[in-house]
Amino acid sequence: MIPIIIDGVVQGLQFSLLAVGITLIYGLGGVLNLAHGQFAVIGGVTAALLIGGGMNVILACVLGVLASGLFGLIVDRSLLLPAYRYKGEERLLLGLILTLGLSFVVDGYLNYRVPDAALTVQLPYPSVTVAGITIRTASVATSVLAILAFLMLGAFLKGTLLGKAVRSIIQNEVGAELCGISATRTRTLIVCLSAILAGVGGVAQGVFSSLGSELGVELTIFALIVAVVGGVRSISGTLVAGILLGIVNAVASFYIGTYLTLIILLAAAMLTILVRPSGMLAYWT
Amino acid sequence: MRQPRIPTGYVTLGVVGAVLALVPLATGDSAHYARITTLMLVYMTYAVAFNMILGHTRQLFLCLGALAGSAAYVSVVLTRELELSPWTTILLGTLVAGALGGMFSYVSVRRGLGVIFLGIVTLAFSLIFQNLIYGLRALTNGETGLVTKGMGLSVLEDQRSSYYVIFGVLMLSLFVYQLMMRSRIGVAFRALSDDEYTAELAGIDVTSYKVLAASVGSLLIGFVGALYGYRNGFISPAIYSLAGIDIVVLITLLVGGMRTLLGPVLGGVAFAVVDELVRPFGQLTVLVYGMLLIILFLTFREGLVSVLRKVTKLDIP
Repeated sequence: MIPIIIDGVVQGLQFSLLAVGITLIYGLGGVLNLAHGQFAVIGGVTAALLIGGGMNVILACVLGVLASGLFGLIVDRSLLLPAYRYKGEERLLLGLILTLGLSFVVDGYLNYRVPDAALTVQLPYPSVTVAGITIRTASVATSVLAILAFLMLGAFLKGTLLGKAVRSIIQNEVGAELCGISATRTRTLIVCLSAILAGVGGVAQGVFSSLGSELGVELTIFALIVAVVGGVRSISGTLVAGILLGIVNAVASFYIGTYLTLIILLAAAMLTILVRPSGMLAYWT
Repeated sequence: MRQPRIPTGYVTLGVVGAVLALVPLATGDSAHYARITTLMLVYMTYAVAFNMILGHTRQLFLCLGALAGSAAYVSVVLTRELELSPWTTILLGTLVAGALGGMFSYVSVRRGLGVIFLGIVTLAFSLIFQNLIYGLRALTNGETGLVTKGMGLSVLEDQRSSYYVIFGVLMLSLFVYQLMMRSRIGVAFRALSDDEYTAELAGIDVTSYKVLAASVGSLLIGFVGALYGYRNGFISPAIYSLAGIDIVVLITLLVGGMRTLLGPVLGGVAFAVVDELVRPFGQLTVLVYGMLLIILFLTFREGLVSVLRKVTKLDIP
């Protein structure tokens, strides 16, 4: 039971990394990014291809994460520009359809070019034993990485002037612009940052499973569920929701099968929207 | 502006009916073309329904495939397990789809969910549907699907008669659409799509018109989805997937033109042609669909009907 829970926590941390990106892009840009899982997969696949080409593992992973960030930057500066021209519902609809289209484009391309990329990472110690429980070193490494990423994000949003600017735009875009904050530039920064976080999640995911083309959709779905259920403005809320969902997912998958588990999680997300929609997704309504 | 004596809508319907009725004569006995043209009619009908849901009442349903699939699976599974007549179960499946669509709409209006919430809820329903089909293997045979050939619906197994059955459904749905748009409902729909609050203030019962549009649209989607299940010879989750139906219907409706009578028909023809052109790319079709969706939404949101209106200077409905 305990190993399953630990697996769930590890997985949940990756979900949170993606979910926090979805929350930020939604809160700041007013776009629900349905291609967020694909952002992650691009990072993972890039790292896998570089490692396959004989590059140093750590360098390849870093480059993979940066590739996700670059992709986010390009998407924000090209595909999402027309959406940003609109406000409110119109922007939401346009953003939703555009990113949905983007997810199909990325999936279609990856399915065609690299149908089954896999990260093969050989760590010096395959597993460590803590208090009688054996944990894979990869799990520890990716979890530490995820927590570090969260801490840094928290410090950035709470501690720096730029972070304050980000939060001010989330609260009131017009008000922030009146104070001389450029919404456009901050938005680009946040999309890029979210993509980088997704990239970390994608590379971490690649350590545990193959990076098939279905992974993108799967990650997007889980991240969306976490973002919806987390439904809080604070980053810690998303983190908690992610870990919780990760555990539920791991335990339930083990006992009642993956299909039923996903149905339960999706139903939880639906229910959250119906019962308490005033969470993270309430900025724009 | 003076209203024409004969409404252009009915003239258009007549032309569309005449042209589509003659299609099987042009394609002859080719099974390939019979299949494509029938599928084209199916997508046109989906688009007519989606036009009411997204076009007129601005409700983003990302579960068209799941609605069509629910009806098809309810019908096929009930027919197999309880040995009911397929027509009875098609009716039941259609009602299930209509009830689901109506429920999503009612809940979303009541809870004041914006476009994004309804999008997520219906997307979640799509995924739940897919996972249910995979999970209930004993009833649904998982991803392999169920064979519908030889279940007693011979009219849908012959390629020519099945074309005309679905043709009939399409024409009926276009006719109903036209009737609706020329009645009070149409006035309400137009007011709704302009501005909901103003419509509400003008005394239009926004809730019931939105639920009406969603229910009628979902009934239609379910009915056609179930019929197509029998025409196709088998049903599987892949046939009723997001990529298989929702994306295609979105593209069809966008190409043709939202909030028009002729849009779904023109879009259906255009999509059938494009689909034939990208067929050689095989695996890349998903990529092409995605690109089409993006490009169309960015550059061609007015649709073919609007272009035709400008070119011919006619009042095309």
